[in-house]
Amino acid sequence: MSPVDSDVASTLACYVFGIVDADAELPRSATDAGELDGADFGSATRLVRNGRVAAVVAAPPADRPLGRAADLLAHDRVLATLAATTAVLPMRFGTVLPDEDAVVEELLAARHDELVQQLDRIRDRLQFTVKARYEEDAVLREIMATHPEITRLRERSAAGFDDQLRLGEAVVGALTQLREQEAPAIVSELGPHDGAVERAPGSPEELLNVALLIPATDVDRFVARVERLGEQHAGRIRIRLVGPSPAYDFVETD
Amino acid sequence: MTQAVAQRRGSYIDRPSPSSLADVVELILDKGLVIDAYVRVSLVGIELLTIDARIVIASVDTYLRFAEATNRLDLYEHGGKDLGELTQSLTEGGSRGKTKGALDGAKDKVGELLHGSDDDSDDSDDDGEGGGSSSSSSSRRSRARQSSSRRRSRTEDDDG
Repeated sequence: MSPVDSDVASTLACYVFGIVDADAELPRSATDAGELDGADFGSATRLVRNGRVAAVVAAPPADRPLGRAADLLAHDRVLATLAATTAVLPMRFGTVLPDEDAVVEELLAARHDELVQQLDRIRDRLQFTVKARYEEDAVLREIMATHPEITRLRERSAAGFDDQLRLGEAVVGALTQLREQEAPAIVSELGPHDGAVERAPGSPEELLNVALLIPATDVDRFVARVERLGEQHAGRIRIRLVGPSPAYDFVETD
Repeated sequence: MTQAVAQRRGSYIDRPSPSSLADVVELILDKGLVIDAYVRVSLVGIELLTIDARIVIASVDTYLRFAEATNRLDLYEHGGKDLGELTQSLTEGGSRGKTKGALDGAKDKVGELLHGSDDDSDDSDDDGEGGGSSSSSSSRRSRARQSSSRRRSRTEDDDG
């Protein structure tokens, strides 16, 4: 980057993707990633350094607000590309600061030691998200077999709206109970990890939604364990594995 | 390293590669380092969205969906009822809890749906001879209004 370029760039608004070590290098693909799929995050990503940390920034689009699907995907892609080669703390999507000085003053300098600590915590680790859902038909049959009162409600439920509602509520209640019994065992079957963050289920048949911090050296073993779990529960529980991704769930937000 | 664990075919788990938009949205919204109040303000709408997704579990719609799924399973197992049995049980349902006959009960139900709880909605707009169809569309409109205002009050609650 020539002196002239950096002078111009330093006065432009900065979209901040994340924080890396000051001596980290931007992989070539991360430089391109900000411009993929029409996300047009302005110019290519660059580093703003201060002390032992650096911010990965790019110019945000000047003529429209952020928030399109392509913007979300680009945010994730830049961070994922970085995470494959270096420790990176994701910023929340949509973080824009007025210029490079503000990036240094409000973020890198103001929170220098905290950022270093947080980087150390996730260094050489990757996040995987494991989502488990009950197969609907299988689990409903199971619930009817074990809950005679639901079978009775079901026989009455053609009678009207109120009975339908009662039936649905009872089924959802039974699913919740089942989830609370089974989820801890499944988490422990996922094996050792360096951190776990469980998310509230987004629907009643969702059994588990947990983000795990896995040491990079343990990734293959971890994936094999998840595979085994999927095989064990095939037909009754469906398992979805998302990752490796940046450690989104393991940065402290406040 | 990413390459080393790339997707394997024929496995027992779903391993999206690349991540779907839904996975990405769930991954990144609400997450990540925040610069004080600045970002919180600019992302208020997005935060509400994710909260909404979690409320949905304990809702009437969810209960009805699972009631329907349970009933469908029942029909599948027992070969299904024929149409006559179904309509019979529906009309019985309409009269349940009332002293009137089955048909009157069903008529009341239909009347309530078309006119709302009472006929006062007809008095408020007497601009024409619209009859049943106009009042039914106005009650439909008021239902839509209700549900949108309910949604509004819910987001206000979340805000506070």
